[in-house]
Amino acid sequence: MFTLIKREIRDHIVYFIGAAVLSAIFIIVSIFVINQIGSSQRSGYSDVDSGMFSVGVGVPTVAIVIIGFCGLGTSQMYLDRTRKISAFLSTLAVSRGRILLARIITGILVILILLVPLTITAATLLRLYAPPVLIYHGMVFEIFTVAFLMAFSCYCIGLQTGWNSGKVAPTLGGIALACIFIPLILIKGFGLQIVVILVLFIIASLIRIRHTFLTTSL
Amino acid sequence: MDQNVIRVENLVKYFDGRCVLDGINLKVPQGCIYGLLGRNGAGKTTIIRILLGLEPPTRGQTFLLDTDSSDLSAKLHSRIGYVAEGHNLIQNYRVGRLIQLCKDLSMSWNDEFFEQLIEKFRLPTDRRVKELSIGMRAQLNLALALAIDPELLIFDDPTLGLDTIARRQFLELAIDLIQRQGRTILFSSHILSDVERIADRIGIFAAGKLVVDCPLEELKKRVKKLRVIFPEAAPSNLYLKEIVNQQIDDREMVITVANWNRQKQTVLDTFKPSSCTEIPMSLEDIFIECTRPSPELIES
Repeated sequence: MFTLIKREIRDHIVYFIGAAVLSAIFIIVSIFVINQIGSSQRSGYSDVDSGMFSVGVGVPTVAIVIIGFCGLGTSQMYLDRTRKISAFLSTLAVSRGRILLARIITGILVILILLVPLTITAATLLRLYAPPVLIYHGMVFEIFTVAFLMAFSCYCIGLQTGWNSGKVAPTLGGIALACIFIPLILIKGFGLQIVVILVLFIIASLIRIRHTFLTTSL
Repeated sequence: MDQNVIRVENLVKYFDGRCVLDGINLKVPQGCIYGLLGRNGAGKTTIIRILLGLEPPTRGQTFLLDTDSSDLSAKLHSRIGYVAEGHNLIQNYRVGRLIQLCKDLSMSWNDEFFEQLIEKFRLPTDRRVKELSIGMRAQLNLALALAIDPELLIFDDPTLGLDTIARRQFLELAIDLIQRQGRTILFSSHILSDVERIADRIGIFAAGKLVVDCPLEELKKRVKKLRVIFPEAAPSNLYLKEIVNQQIDDREMVITVANWNRQKQTVLDTFKPSSCTEIPMSLEDIFIECTRPSPELIES
């Protein structure tokens, strides 16, 4: 299994680097903005609009997560199909199930590389700058969970898109899903409801991907 | 364990409504070198892919080493070596990386033997697979398949694209393997002389059916090609059963008959031919005769 994961990482190293770079950029921007807000609050004059900052950073972040993780899933499956990688691997001492599992683990690793440093940074900044109010307890974990599930859902859509020869239906499905999820998060927040919906979607997607990957000709 | 390493039962495969395999039944016993022959599109590659679980069958079942092809575990795969048609290796990998990947994924790897093969084939490990010639790719695929010391070897047209020397090297290796006891080889090829050299049982596919499945020597005995000269114009009908092919040119008739026996000889003698001589047939001649229309005549 480790060999298969190592192979996936080497083949998609660009996504790992991309996730790390993106994470670093977000961390630097967050620290810079929080510093600005902190110093402006001390001087009593605010030149940073926190609402504008949230929209300015939040929207591109969501877009990057959706496109990036869909892209990763699509790239993994598309390259496999065109280069007949699984067709070759499954003639060695490897089962198709393991190939798929290694692929999904790799996808999760990319998501974690992006989100874990961001979460640690956010938790640290909240501890340093936010007032000690109960509402902030567990908030970072909730946001991390939803962001992870959201990224993983996008990754699952990518896996399906990459394995299908028809690209239109899965792409439209992905866009429709993003259109549902984003307003849902805006309205309901990072609560339990969105977690349940995302988990259900991920389970359904994984079952479908597994069935398709294990039964189609390689 | 069943004595049959490969078992195919009532296998049917359709591609886009076209029947490629039509009720195939096949058994390959342990230690057998089975030569699979057929014209392009006859279904040789399809049956191999179904056997390896790469392609689902429409109907029927296939078994490799006593296990259903759809349930082949990683452990079972480690006992099977496969050289694919067109040598489906990961094209953008460097040879060295591909070797390392196969080595890491294998359960048993004969490093010494593999190094010998790499040296013998003079394969460059620093080049990408796609930069290798077809012959080199075939050799690499063969070396990778042999390095795991497999119980069962499946070759799907492995000598396709190889030059004479490389083909000879390949056959020598195959013969070397055959000499190791208990190895079973399923060998599909277009080069009939190769199959004739190493196979001890032959299967011929035509129009989706397995029209011949018997030992090579038996096949040669069963199919006879005769040149018959008659005192006058040759009769249009000899009333013989199982005529595979028949050509008439005035007094001369050349016929290919399946399952030639004393009874058929007696029927022929009633036409009082001036002479009747047997034309020796190579496997290629038999193959050509068998894959003409109405090949079911020599079905076992």
